[in-house]
Amino acid sequence: MMSNEFVEISSNANGKRLLDIRNLSVDYYAASGTVHALDNVSIALERGQILGLAGESGSGKSTLAYAVTRLLHPPAAITGGEVLYYPRSDIRRQRGKSAGAEESRTSTDEPIDILQLSPAQLRIFRWSELAIVFQSAMNALNPVLTIGAQINDVLRTHQPGMGPDSRRQRAIELLRLVGIAPDRIRSYPHELSGGMRQRAIIAIALALSPELIIMDEPTTALDVVVQREILLEIMGLRERLNFSVIFITHDLSLLLEIADKIAIMYAGRVVETATNLELLRQPRHPYSYGLLNSFPTLHGPRHMMTGIPGFPPDLRATPPGCPFHPRCPMAFGACSARIPVLRPSAPETPGQFVACHLYDPVLNTGRIPTNDEFAAEYEAHYEVVQGMERRR
Amino acid sequence: MNAENMGTDSPLSALNDTAVGAPPAKPAVLEAKSLRKYFPLRQFNPIGQRNVVHAVEDTSLALYPGRALALVGESGSGKTTVARLLARLYEPTAGTIMFHGEPLKGSARAELKAYRRHVQLVFQDPYSSLNPVHDVRYHLKRPLRLHSHTHSTIQEKQQIVALLNRVSLSPAEQFIQKYPHQLSGGQRQRVAIARALAAQPEVLLADEPVSMLDVSIRLDILNLMLRLKNEEQLALLFITHDIASARYFAEDTLVMYAGQTVEGGPSEEVIQRPKHPYTQLLISAAPDPDRLGPDGKSKTTLPARGEIPSLITPPGGCRFHPRCPFAMPVCSQRFPKRTELGGGHWTHCFLYGDGGTDLAVNSQDNAQKHGHAAHEQTSDDISTRQNA
Repeated sequence: MMSNEFVEISSNANGKRLLDIRNLSVDYYAASGTVHALDNVSIALERGQILGLAGESGSGKSTLAYAVTRLLHPPAAITGGEVLYYPRSDIRRQRGKSAGAEESRTSTDEPIDILQLSPAQLRIFRWSELAIVFQSAMNALNPVLTIGAQINDVLRTHQPGMGPDSRRQRAIELLRLVGIAPDRIRSYPHELSGGMRQRAIIAIALALSPELIIMDEPTTALDVVVQREILLEIMGLRERLNFSVIFITHDLSLLLEIADKIAIMYAGRVVETATNLELLRQPRHPYSYGLLNSFPTLHGPRHMMTGIPGFPPDLRATPPGCPFHPRCPMAFGACSARIPVLRPSAPETPGQFVACHLYDPVLNTGRIPTNDEFAAEYEAHYEVVQGMERRR
Repeated sequence: MNAENMGTDSPLSALNDTAVGAPPAKPAVLEAKSLRKYFPLRQFNPIGQRNVVHAVEDTSLALYPGRALALVGESGSGKTTVARLLARLYEPTAGTIMFHGEPLKGSARAELKAYRRHVQLVFQDPYSSLNPVHDVRYHLKRPLRLHSHTHSTIQEKQQIVALLNRVSLSPAEQFIQKYPHQLSGGQRQRVAIARALAAQPEVLLADEPVSMLDVSIRLDILNLMLRLKNEEQLALLFITHDIASARYFAEDTLVMYAGQTVEGGPSEEVIQRPKHPYTQLLISAAPDPDRLGPDGKSKTTLPARGEIPSLITPPGGCRFHPRCPFAMPVCSQRFPKRTELGGGHWTHCFLYGDGGTDLAVNSQDNAQKHGHAAHEQTSDDISTRQNA
């Protein structure tokens, strides 16, 4: 399936590319049928960038994160694609040297395909190049070990050359970095509040100065104020340490504030990629528009919001053509017949890619829809759905 | 309940029906005055000091037919305790609850049952509020029978089908047989709402009804509850930590912090012109894409940090004072009286005076603009008043 003739995947011309996910597919083998959790997903990530993944539950956001980190276990299997990682060309892998932020950020090395790494290579690769922060900090921390011991553990395993004193120094430095007082090094997870635990998890992820941190709903379980504190902390750390982040959340309004680039996922496919401003101003895919308008706002006129009618499809039997077409208010003939591919949406936003036949000049000879037209179509669609419910 | 009760107008006009900021047209259905709830802690030392959790202090609120009141705050602020007090799952330590203007009588079984016929609760987690070994029919049948709304099996079936249709679970005949595990989260929450409606209540207390649900389902449930509120004139208490959905859903908003109500009034007033520093903190912490600058960087900053204090030994005075950027000496001494700010908007904060005295006039705007300068002025005012 030619899914990305238009996507900016193949070039690493400016040396800023960090990760290239190409045509990644993941299946879950279940007794009731194979679940196609990821279908030909291609996304690229630059150094220092925050890439946000948004979508409903079951859209494949977490599966993507787990596939990239090779944390998927049977019955899940990666059925195709590659995940190319561009290491830095400098001698950064000689550990023990300071992970100075001033180093040159260019990479000329050949990319590594994470999916081809042997278990031994993977063990070195994980944590030093790529770390992951999970949603539930309480479950990610070991309840019978102190925070300090858990940081120490990572350092001892991955940097055997480091002495106990320098490990302790590093642990204190890391806790300071995320805003935890150094005397908390002897605290057990239950002695810390939810926000502090999440900070500790981030400190552990940062222990080896990874290039890429995957954050899977890192703040969902936290209160709004604490959530904002953690986000400000992550943004500040990113400024200082210049790592990249793949940030997964269902809260698109939050993602718009923090991500540089956003990929909207639906039914295991990427349906749109855009910068946060492009997506805020003009979402191109009808699903992106619907998702964006599922969040009540703090400002502006109060109006009835319709959300997206219907349910996400069963991934064992994804609808033919565009998987969104049964819920799409703007679906037309081609949508149920052909799978749309990611393509540039409009000349004025060359970086915004969308997988929708509305933007195919061959299939849709009319105009490209505007926000107002999306709104009108969604409202009309909502009236129809409500009317059907009332008549029953 | 029946099809003729459902409005024929467009569902999209639902929000316009209730003019923003308009005062309630009808008298309150349910009113709470100075509710207080302390939970005693288990005591191992017989001569030690008795410790209690000060969960709710001096909270007053009123619910009106066809209107929603949003109760907003972080976890641990006492939101759920208030809902449970109103549902009479807890007995208040002090204060009164009035139903149609009459104080509640006794807590005998029959009296509680009569009360719950009118006041129903919808819980946060639809995965644990439905019994996994019973089907939808059973869940809806029980309240119908308990409150004697049904007298025959045929009537019961009709009512169950009507209830399922009211919460947009159709075809109802299919859902009637299903068990909770066969339903999605949104469908379960609809069953939970239908179960509450089965008692034919006048008041619905919804404790974070959408926070466990997926994003696209949330609006469905909110819109369903909006429809019920408007078409059936239900009085709704909507508990949430998401201030944006409070704005979308409720005419009035009440902000709680650590068991104290700090600000309240028409939702649009409270959210667009927050006065209490805690409300301002909550709003600045909420996701808001409008804060994106032209460079695509968010300009969000937090005016205060920290978390809700322990409620066993809460800070004296205003419990927000340890986190408050405008705290003054008086804030730790006593809790400020309620200051009316006009248009039904009120707050408990010394920055705006102490019980609607002349202090409010000169400090109100300054506090917004100048922060610390204003609070110096206010504290001077207060010390002169105390000396006088």
